[in-house]
Amino acid sequence: MNQMTFVVPPQPASPPPLPLSFAGDRGEFRRLVTRGAALELGTVGFYRFWLATDIRRHLWSNTLIDGDAAEYTGRARELLIGFLIAMAIIVPVYLAYFIAGLEAERIKAFASFPLLLFFYVFGQFAIYRARRYRLTRTVWRGVRFWMSGSGWAYAGWSLLWGIGTALTLGLLLPWREAALERYKMRHSYYGDLQGSFEGRGWEFFKRGWWLWLLAPFSFYLFPAAPFVYAAYKAVEWRWWLSGIRFGGVRLESTMRRSALIGLYWKVIGWFLLFAAAMGAYLAGCAALVASMHGVAFTQFLKTSALVQSVPLLVMAGVGYLATVLGLNIVMRVYLLRDLWARVLASTTVHGIEAAANVSAKGELANALGEGFADGLDVAGF
Amino acid sequence: MSIGGDEHGLEAAPAPAGPNGSVVYFDGTTSRRRLVALVFADRLELHEPLQAVITWPYDDIRRADSPIGTLRLTCLSASALARLEIRDAALAAELIARCPRLDENRPSRGGAAIIVGWSLAAAASIIAVVLFGVPLAADRLTPLVPQAVERRMGDVADGQVKALFGNKVCDNAAGQAAFVKLVNTLREAGGLDPSIQTAVLATPIPNAFALPGGRVYLFNGLLAKAENPDEIAGVLAHELGHLRHRDGTRNLIYNGGTSFLIGLLFGDVTGSGAVIFASRSLVTASYSREAEQNADNFSIDVMHKLGRPTKAMGELLFRVTGKQGDSSLSILASHPMTEDRLKRMSEVDRPASGPPLLTAAEWNALKAICAPPHK
Repeated sequence: MNQMTFVVPPQPASPPPLPLSFAGDRGEFRRLVTRGAALELGTVGFYRFWLATDIRRHLWSNTLIDGDAAEYTGRARELLIGFLIAMAIIVPVYLAYFIAGLEAERIKAFASFPLLLFFYVFGQFAIYRARRYRLTRTVWRGVRFWMSGSGWAYAGWSLLWGIGTALTLGLLLPWREAALERYKMRHSYYGDLQGSFEGRGWEFFKRGWWLWLLAPFSFYLFPAAPFVYAAYKAVEWRWWLSGIRFGGVRLESTMRRSALIGLYWKVIGWFLLFAAAMGAYLAGCAALVASMHGVAFTQFLKTSALVQSVPLLVMAGVGYLATVLGLNIVMRVYLLRDLWARVLASTTVHGIEAAANVSAKGELANALGEGFADGLDVAGF
Repeated sequence: MSIGGDEHGLEAAPAPAGPNGSVVYFDGTTSRRRLVALVFADRLELHEPLQAVITWPYDDIRRADSPIGTLRLTCLSASALARLEIRDAALAAELIARCPRLDENRPSRGGAAIIVGWSLAAAASIIAVVLFGVPLAADRLTPLVPQAVERRMGDVADGQVKALFGNKVCDNAAGQAAFVKLVNTLREAGGLDPSIQTAVLATPIPNAFALPGGRVYLFNGLLAKAENPDEIAGVLAHELGHLRHRDGTRNLIYNGGTSFLIGLLFGDVTGSGAVIFASRSLVTASYSREAEQNADNFSIDVMHKLGRPTKAMGELLFRVTGKQGDSSLSILASHPMTEDRLKRMSEVDRPASGPPLLTAAEWNALKAICAPPHK
C-alpha cells in the first residue's frame, strides 16, 4: 500500500468571468420614450416622473447579471411626492437666498456671487440622496441594494474637491472622482455585502490626460469636441466600472476609447437632420403665409409682417414642439438605452459566487433627494 | 392551511418543473437561488426537497418586471421581495390562467389619461394664479413692504445701474438748479414727499427710469431730444407716477412670482427654456403695459394740475421711438405703442393755463447740464 495513487483533487477552478448582458428590445424602448415624450409635452412636464420610472424599469429589468435580471421597484408616485415636498423646502430656501443676496449686493455690487456655492453644495447633497433612492429601489435575486452615509458629508467633500479641481484647471478631476466614488461605494451595500471602490485617480489620469490637454482646443474646433467628449466618457466608464466591488464580486470593463464616438455622432446627425427639417418647414410656412397675404415671398421676408404674423408664429411654435419631441426621443434612445447596452456589453463580473447567498438588509430611502435634484436641475449618480 | 399540501392527495405530485429547473425561487431574505417545483393546488405550492412547502394564494400573485421570456411573480402575502421566475412558456401560461388579479397593480390604460387630466388641471391652476393671483398678491403685498426695505432694494439697483452706465452724474450748478426746480414743482403737484432723489446721468441713451425706494434717473440722451420743458416734465411726472404707485417693488414681487410658477410648470423638460421665456414675456409684458398706462395717467393728472399741455410728452416719445406699430408685436411690448400714447395724450390735452415750468434761461441751462461748467 505504499503505492498510493496520488490523485490531485480537481482544483476548485475559479469560475470564468461572466459577461453582463442587456436583453431589452430596442423597438419597445423607442415606443416607450415616444409615448412618454408626447405625454410629457401634453402634461406640460408633469409626466416626467412616470417616464423616468418607466425608463428605469425597462433598463433595470433587462439587465442580466449571471442570468438573473435586476428589477426597479420605485414608483412614479414616490417621485411626485418627493418633488412636492422638495418644492416646499426649496421655495423658502430660494427666498432666504434672495434676501441674503440683496444684503450682499447692498454692500458691494455683484457680491452675492459666492452664495451660488451654497446651491452647488445643495445640488451635491441632492445627487447623493437621489442615488440612495435609486439604489434602494434596485433589487436583484430578491435582495435590494441600499446605502448609508451622509448626504451633507458627501456634499462637503464634493465642494472641497470641486474647489481644488477649479484651482488646478481640472487637473485634479481624476482624484476628485476617485475620492467621491470611494465615499459613495463605501456606503453602498448589496444585502450584507459592502461595496468599495478600487479605482485610483492616477489610473484615470494615465488614461485620460491627453484628453485634458485636448479639451481647450476642441472647443474651438467643432468636429473635434464630440470625439474628445466621447473618448472621455468611454475612459471614465471603463475606469469607474473596473473599480466597483461588492465584497468578493469584482467588475471589469474592457470598453475601448472609441466605443462611444459613433453614438454621439448619431445624435449629432439627428440634431442636424431635425434642424434642416425645421428650417425647411419654416420656409414652407412663410411661403404659405406670404401667398395668403398675396405678396411675393422675397418681398414678404423683407417686410416686418414676417415677425408680426400670428399664424406664422403659431406654425413656428408647432414646429418647435415637434422638434423638441423628436430630440427628446433621439437623446433617450441613443444616450440612455444604447449607451447602457454598450456599457453592459463591455463589462464582465468576477467572483459572482460571493453573491450567491447574501442576506437581505437595509431600509428603503425616500424620494426627497430625487425631488431636490429635480427642483435644482442637477443630475448624476 | 398555509403550509403543507398533503391534504390534496393525488394532486400533490409536483408538476414537472421544466428542464434544468426552470422555476427559480428567491425568498426575499437571501439571494440564494432555490429551484422549486410548482404544484397547482387550491393555492400555488412551491416544493423544494427537504424544505417546508411554501404556498401562495392565487389572488395574491402579481406580476413583477422581467425581461422577455421570463415570467416573474411576487406575492402580496409573502415577503415583499420574494420572487418566482418561470422560463417555461407552457408552465407560465398555465399559472397565468389561475391568477385572476395578476396585472392589477400595473398601470391601466386609463392611467395615462388620469395623469394628463390632473396635469392639465394643475397647469390651469398655475396659469390662473399667474394671471390673477400673482398680480393681486403684488398689489396687496406692495403697501406692506416697509419703505426701509424698498430703499435697500433701491440701493442695490442703484449700485448696478451706476456700474452699468459709468456713474457719470451731471450736476453743473445752473443746470442742476433748473432740474431741482422742475422736479420740485412736479413732486409737489403729485403729492410726493421730499425724500425722492433725482439725477441726470451722462448717457446718450434717450431714456428715464424710476427705481424702488424713490430714485428717478433722467438720461442726458432724452434731454438732448427734448424741445421744451413740458416734454421733459411729462416724462419726469410719468416716472414719479411709478414711484407713487411703487411699481418697482410691485414688479419685483410680480416677476419673481411668475418666473417661479412658470418654471415650476414646465420643469426640466429638454427644450422647455424657449417655452418658459415666451410665456413669461407674454404675461409680464401685459402687466407692465398696465403699469405704464397708470403712470401715464398720473403724469396727465399732474400736468393738468399745473395747467400745462400733456401732448408734449407724447411728442417727445414719438420723436424717440418713431411709429412702433410696424416693427413689433403689440402683445410682446412692455410699453403701450408710442402712437397710442401720443393719441391719448393729445385727446386729453388742454391749452396752457398755468405759468411755464421753466424760464427760457433755465431751460437752456437744463439742456446743458452735462456740459462742462463755464468758468
